[in-house]
Amino acid sequence: MSVNNLLENWSQFRHFHPVDDKPHDPYKWAMSIDLDACTGCNACSVACYAENNLPVVGKEKYAHGQAMHWMRIERYWDEDDRDFPDQGAQFLPMMCQQCEAAPCETVCPVAATNHTADGLNSQVYNRCIGSRYCSANCPYKVRYFNWYDYPTDDNVWPAEMNQQLNPDVTVRGKGVMEKCTFCVQRLHAAKGAARSEGRIVRDGEVQTACQQACPASAISFGNLVDPESRVHKQWKAQQVELDKEEQTKDKKEEGGSELRGYRIFEELRPYPSVMYLERVRESAV
Amino acid sequence: MKDIREDIAWAKINQDVLKSLENPRKLYWVILFCALAAFGVGIGCEVYQYQTGLGVANLNNPYAWGLYISTFIFWIGMSHSGTLLSAILHLMHADWRKPIYRFAEAMTTFSLMTAGLFVMVHIGRLWQFYYSLPYPSERGIWPNFQSPLLWDAMAIFTYLSSSILFLYVGMIPDLAICRDNMHEGWRKKLYTLLSLGWEGTDRQWRNFRVTYLTIACFLSPLAVSVHSIVASDFAMSQQPGWHVTSFPPYFVAGALYSGCSGIITLFIILRYVFKFEEYMTKSILKKIVRLTFAISMIWTYLNAVEFASVWYSNDQASKDILIQKATGTYAPFWWGMIFCGSIVPLTLAFKRAQTNIPVLFAVSLLLNLGMWLERWMIIAPTFSHGYYPWTWDHDQWPSLIQWGMVFGSFGWFTMLFMVFCKVFPSVSMYEVKEMVYHRSLHLKKSETAEQGAH
Amino acid sequence: MMNSGFDRRDFLKVLGWSGVAIALNGCGNTSVEDGKETVVSYVETNDYMIPSISTYFNSTCAQCDAGCNITGRIREGRVLKLEGNPDSAINRGKTCGLGQAGVQHHYNPDRVREPLLRKGGQGEAITWEKAYALIAEKLNGVSGEEIAFLTGGVSGHLKVLLGNYLDSFGCKNHFVYEAIAPAVLRAANKKSYGVEMPRFNINKAKVVLSFGADFLGAWVSPVHFSQQYAQFRKGVDGQRGVLIQVESKMTLTGANADRWVVVRPGTEGILALGIINALGTASGDIAAKVRGYDRALVSKETGVPPGQIDKIAALLKLRSPSLVLAGSAAEGYAHGSQNAAAINLLNHVLGNVGKTVEAAAVVPFPQMAPATGNTAALKTLNDGLNAGKYKVLFSYAANPVFTAPGAMKFKDSLAKAGFKVAFAHYLDETAMQADLVLPLDSALEDWGTQVPEYMAEGAQINIQQPLMEKLHANTRGMGDILLALIKLRRAEEYKKFDDYYAYLRTAVLQNKGALGGGVADDDTFWNETLSKGIIKLAGSSHALSGNAATAGLSLPAPAAINAQYPLHLIPSVSASLRDGRHTNQPWLQESPDPLTTIVWDSWVEIHPKKAAELRIAEGDIVEVTGKNGSIKAQAYLFPGIHPDAISVPLGRGHEALGRYARGYGVNPFQILDAVFDKETGELALHETRVKVSKTGQRVIVVKDEGFVGGKQMGKKIAVRVSSDKVELSEEV
Repeated sequence: MSVNNLLENWSQFRHFHPVDDKPHDPYKWAMSIDLDACTGCNACSVACYAENNLPVVGKEKYAHGQAMHWMRIERYWDEDDRDFPDQGAQFLPMMCQQCEAAPCETVCPVAATNHTADGLNSQVYNRCIGSRYCSANCPYKVRYFNWYDYPTDDNVWPAEMNQQLNPDVTVRGKGVMEKCTFCVQRLHAAKGAARSEGRIVRDGEVQTACQQACPASAISFGNLVDPESRVHKQWKAQQVELDKEEQTKDKKEEGGSELRGYRIFEELRPYPSVMYLERVRESAV
Repeated sequence: MKDIREDIAWAKINQDVLKSLENPRKLYWVILFCALAAFGVGIGCEVYQYQTGLGVANLNNPYAWGLYISTFIFWIGMSHSGTLLSAILHLMHADWRKPIYRFAEAMTTFSLMTAGLFVMVHIGRLWQFYYSLPYPSERGIWPNFQSPLLWDAMAIFTYLSSSILFLYVGMIPDLAICRDNMHEGWRKKLYTLLSLGWEGTDRQWRNFRVTYLTIACFLSPLAVSVHSIVASDFAMSQQPGWHVTSFPPYFVAGALYSGCSGIITLFIILRYVFKFEEYMTKSILKKIVRLTFAISMIWTYLNAVEFASVWYSNDQASKDILIQKATGTYAPFWWGMIFCGSIVPLTLAFKRAQTNIPVLFAVSLLLNLGMWLERWMIIAPTFSHGYYPWTWDHDQWPSLIQWGMVFGSFGWFTMLFMVFCKVFPSVSMYEVKEMVYHRSLHLKKSETAEQGAH
Repeated sequence: MMNSGFDRRDFLKVLGWSGVAIALNGCGNTSVEDGKETVVSYVETNDYMIPSISTYFNSTCAQCDAGCNITGRIREGRVLKLEGNPDSAINRGKTCGLGQAGVQHHYNPDRVREPLLRKGGQGEAITWEKAYALIAEKLNGVSGEEIAFLTGGVSGHLKVLLGNYLDSFGCKNHFVYEAIAPAVLRAANKKSYGVEMPRFNINKAKVVLSFGADFLGAWVSPVHFSQQYAQFRKGVDGQRGVLIQVESKMTLTGANADRWVVVRPGTEGILALGIINALGTASGDIAAKVRGYDRALVSKETGVPPGQIDKIAALLKLRSPSLVLAGSAAEGYAHGSQNAAAINLLNHVLGNVGKTVEAAAVVPFPQMAPATGNTAALKTLNDGLNAGKYKVLFSYAANPVFTAPGAMKFKDSLAKAGFKVAFAHYLDETAMQADLVLPLDSALEDWGTQVPEYMAEGAQINIQQPLMEKLHANTRGMGDILLALIKLRRAEEYKKFDDYYAYLRTAVLQNKGALGGGVADDDTFWNETLSKGIIKLAGSSHALSGNAATAGLSLPAPAAINAQYPLHLIPSVSASLRDGRHTNQPWLQESPDPLTTIVWDSWVEIHPKKAAELRIAEGDIVEVTGKNGSIKAQAYLFPGIHPDAISVPLGRGHEALGRYARGYGVNPFQILDAVFDKETGELALHETRVKVSKTGQRVIVVKDEGFVGGKQMGKKIAVRVSSDKVELSEEV
C-alpha cells in the first residue's frame, strides 16, 4: 500500500519482452498457425465461443460492428484484377497476438491489461474501467468491448442456454474489454496439475480450444522456452525470434528466405507471440 | 478608440457591474432555459446509456472512441484562453484584459468541468471511475503511471483545481464589494463567507497581489502542459495519424484558438445580456480578434507542418489516413475544418470586420465549429482506417445518444456560465477601477508633459 | 442377462451415475438465495464427482451424418463443451463448428418440451400415455400400406427397431429423405466402383482434382477429409499435394485450391472427358468415347481455356497417384449421373482405383447399416400423399415442408395425410403441420448406436450415450418411443425391455463376441464400450469392381441460354447450416460464412461483371425469380462464381424452428424447379433457372469483412508463397 512499495517495485510490475537477464522461465506461451493447412472453416471460432462464454450479439449488433468473436477468420482475395480468383482465397485466423511489448498494456490507465510472467497479455476484467484506450492502440484490433450487458440481454443466454456457460471463465458484464486469452483457464489448470507433480507442463498436455477443434491441425500451441515443444521447434526451424522486430533471415539478399514463418506487423515492434506460416500455392499449375 | 472611458466614476462601476447580478435582459432567461433543456437532454441520454451500455452510442470495434473524446478535447481546448487572458496576459501587463478576464477565467473552469464529464460518459464502467486515481489503496494497486490517460486525469485535476483557485482569489476584492452593497439575504451571507473578511487594507492588498501573481505564474505553464498531455494521449500511441511529434504544440495552438473564438462568442453575448457595453468595449474586442487572427494563422501553419511531416515521413499508414481525411467518407468534415479554421479567420484581417459585432459573432461560431470538427477529425479517421485493413470501417456514425450528450454538454456549460454571471460579478470591478485610474494617471501625465512643454 | 431387471436408473446407480442424477436437480443457474432451488450436498458423492473438476464421457456427434466421435466435458452434471474423441478414426479428436454447436442443440430454449396435440391452430400439451393411446387409436384398422414413415438418414439399432416396427404392420413405406445427400454419387459409385461409398484417400494423393466436392465444407465427412487434406498439403514423399477444384460457384474447398477452375454450370462431365482425351492414355472403349472431346470443343462448352485443360492433364500424368472426386455441384443436374460417371471414369483412366479410391470397410450387420437418405424418396412420398394413399404419416429427423422444392408443394400434399405425427426437437415447419408432435431427447441426452455411411478406416459402430440428465422431464428418446410403439404391436417380443437402454445393452451384449468383447464379462465389456464410445470392428470390405465401362455414358451439350430465365441458380450448402435443421443454433448464425463473411442472413452471390451489367451493387435487395416463385435477398458481389450463375445459400429463411432461425434470410428451396436426375430420380438441385431484378431497396450487408473487403492494402498480413520457393520436408 505504501508509496515506497510503488517506487521500489514499479519496475517489477511490468514485464517486457524477454531480455537476457530476465528470460521467460519456465513458460512462454506461443502459437504458430500454418496457413497452408488452415481451410477457413470457422471451427476454431465456434470452439472459442463454446469455451470462453462469448456472447452471440445478434444481427443488429453485428451490423454495428459489435461482434465479440475473439477469433475471427479473415478472407482475402488476390488483388490482381483478374475476373476469377483462380488461386482460391486466403484465410487468416486472427486473434490477440499476445504481444511481448504490447501496445495495449502501456496505455491502460488502470493497469487492467498486464503482462504475465508466462508471456500472456492478460486482461483483468475486475480492474477494467472501460476507457478502451487499449483497443485504440491495438494494431490488430483484436480487443472486443462489452458494449452491452450481454448476460442480461434477451436471447444471449436465455434459460437452459446459460447452463452451457463454462464455469472456469468469467461471464463479462457491460463496460469491460475482453480478448483472446490463449485459454488461460486451461493453462492455469495444466500448470497447477504439473506443479503438484513437481514438473512443468509437457508439450501437448494443454491445448487451446481453437487448436483442439481445428480439423486440419493448423494451430500449434505450447511453451516456447521448452526445447521439446513443437512450437519451439517450429519457431526455431523458421528462424523466427520472439524479441526481434526484423528477423535475421529477412535481412538476407533479395529473394528473401525460403522459410514460411512470419509475424504480422513485426515492424511495429509489438513482438507478437503468434507466428504464421505462409500459405503455399502450387507453382506448376 | 480607447479600451475604456476614463471618466467613469468608481461608484458607477460598482453600480453597473452589480446591476448585472440583479436585472439582466430577458434574453438571459431564454438562454438559461435553453441551456437547462439541453442539459436535460444530455442527462437523459447518459441515463439511457448507463443503463443499457455504451453500445447505444453506436461505437464499435475498431471505432472505440467517438464524439465523447472529440468533444472532451474541444472543451479542454476551450479552457485555455481563459488562462491566457487571466494569467499569461496578466504577467505581461496587458491592461485591456481587465474587464473581460473574469468571465474568461470562468469559462476555463466551466469548460474543464464539462470536459471532465466527457471522460465520465466515455468510460464503460463509470462506477469504477476512481480506479484511475492514484489513491493509496488497501490492495496496493496503483493506476498505470505509464498511461497518458492517467497523466491526463492528473493534469486536468490539477488544472481544474488551480483555475478554480485563481478564479476565486481574483474575485475576493469584488466579493467584498458585493458584500458591502448587497441587501440582506442569502447572497449577502454567501458573499460575506466568500470574501474572507476582506477589508481592503494595505496588508491584504499586498498579500493578495503576491498570491495572485504566484498562482498566475503557476497556471501559465500548466495551461500549456495540459493540452500537451491531452495531445500525448494520441502522440504517445502507436496509431497512424496520431503518432506525430508535433501534436503537442498543435494541440496547444488549437486550444488557444478555440478558446479565443469562444471568448469572442461569450463576450458578445455577455455584452448584450448584461448591458456591459461600457466595459466590454469594441476596442477590447478588436484586440481579442487580432489575437485570434494571429493564433489562427499559427494553427494553420502547424496544421501544414503536421501534413508535411506525415507526407514526407515514409510512413504509409499515416499517409493513408491523411489521404482518407482529404478524400474519404469524412472529407466533407475535414474540408469543413480547413475552411472554418483557416479560411474563415481571414475575414478577421479586415478592420471593418474586427468591430462588426454580427460578423464577429458568426465568425466566432464558425471558428468554434471548425475547431470541434478538427477534434473529430483527429479521432474518427484513425479509428476507421487504422493499421488493420480487415477492420476498416468507414460507415460508423455517432448515434443520437452521442449527439445528445454533445448537445447536453453545451447546455451544461452555458448553464454553469450563466448562473455564474448572475451570481458573481463577471467584470472585475477592482481591476476596471485600476484601469481607469491608470488611464487617468496616464492622461494627467501627458497633460502635465504638454503643459511642461509650453 | 436378457432380462436382468435392470432399469436405467438402477444402472446409473451401479455405474455411479446416480450422483449426476442427483446433482442435476440442483444444477443450472442456482439462485439459492430465493430458495427456488435445492442446494445439493457434495459430502457423499461418487468418486469422480468433484465440484470444479470435469469428467469426460464419449459419445457420437449427431449434428450431421458423418458420425464423428465426441467427448463431452461434464461439470457439476452439466455438459459444457464437446471435443473430438482422439481415438476416433473418423475425426481423430477434431470437430467442426457445426459439431461444436451440438451443445446449443441440447440447451436450445426453443425445444419442444411436451407432447403437443393440435387443437385448432394451437398445440395442446398432453401426456405421453394419451399420445400413445391416440397413435394406437389412429393406427387401428389401418393397413401397412396406408402408413408412411418419413425419416432422415437412420442407422444402428434405431433403424433395426424402426424396421421391426414397420414390419409389424407389413408396412414398406419407409421414406428416407435427406435434402442434400450425395445420392447421385452413390449410384454412380455403385456403377463405377461396385460400392456406393468407397474410401477416398486424399492424404495419399499427390493431386486431387475435385469437381465441386466440398470435402472441406459440407461433403460426406468433412472433419475427416480436413485432416487428410492437412496431411496431403504436408505432402507425400516430401511432395506437397496439389488441389484443383472445378466448379461454377466457389466452395470452401475451392477457396483452398491451388487452382480454382470455373466451368459453365453442368459441364463438369464434359471437362472430365476432355481431360481424359488430353491425357491420351485411355484405350479401347474409353478412347473411343472421348475421341470427340478435343480441347477446342471442351473449351468452348465448358469455358475452360485449352491451356488450362492441358496443364491439368499434364499434372495428372506427372504426379500419380491422384484422386478425382465428383461432388454435389456436378451431380445436381438432370444429367448428374452422367456427370458423375464421367468424372469417376477419370479415376479409372488415371489408375487411382485401388490406390486412392479404396474399398471401405463394411459393418458386418446389414440390418444396422445406414439407410441413406435421398430426394427421390420424397418424390415418391409426395406422389403417394397426393394420391391420398396414407392415413397415418410419421416424420422424424426430416423437415420436408422447409426443404422440399417449391414446385412440389409438399405442404399441400402433407395436408392430405390423415393423421400426421412428428417426432421433433423443435417446432419446425413440418412439426407445425403435424397433428401430434412428440418431443425428443436431445442427442446429448439419448442412447443410441450409429453406423457412419463413410467409413474412415476399419468399420465402426458409434455409441451415443447421455452426457447429462434430461433437461426436460417430458421429452423421450426416439428409441424409447419406438420401443413403446412396438410394444403396442408385439408386446410379447419386446416386453422384456423396459426401455431403449435395456434393449441396446442386451443387443450389444448378445453379440459380444462379434463386437470384440472376447471373454470379458458382460458388465466389463459394456462399461468399456461406453467408455470408449466406439465399437471398432475388424469388418470386411467389398472389393471394388473396377468397372470402367462407358456404356450409356452420354453427356448433353450445355443447355442454351434461356431468354426468360438466363441465370443458373446454385443453392449452396454451407458447412454450418446444411439443410437448415441447425439454423436455430445461434453460434452457427453468428459464425460468418467463410467466403462472404455474412452472418444472420441470406444473400445472392453474383459475379462483379454480371452485377455491373445488371447495375447491381452490394446490398441491393434483388428479386430472384424462377418458374416456381421468387425470393428477395441482398446482393453480394462475389468473384468466385460463373457470371451466368448466381448462388443463394440454403438453410435460412425459416418460418418456424425457433427464435434464432425464424425470420432470418430466405429459403431458396422454395423456388427450386422440380427437375430430376434422369437415372436416379434425384432432385437436380442446380437445374433451376432464374432471372435477377433489382427492387430498388438497399441494405448494408451484415458481414465481418470490412470496408475494403478482402484486400490487404499492401500490408503483409496473409502471405502466400509459391511452392517452388519452400522446402516443406524440412519443416517441423
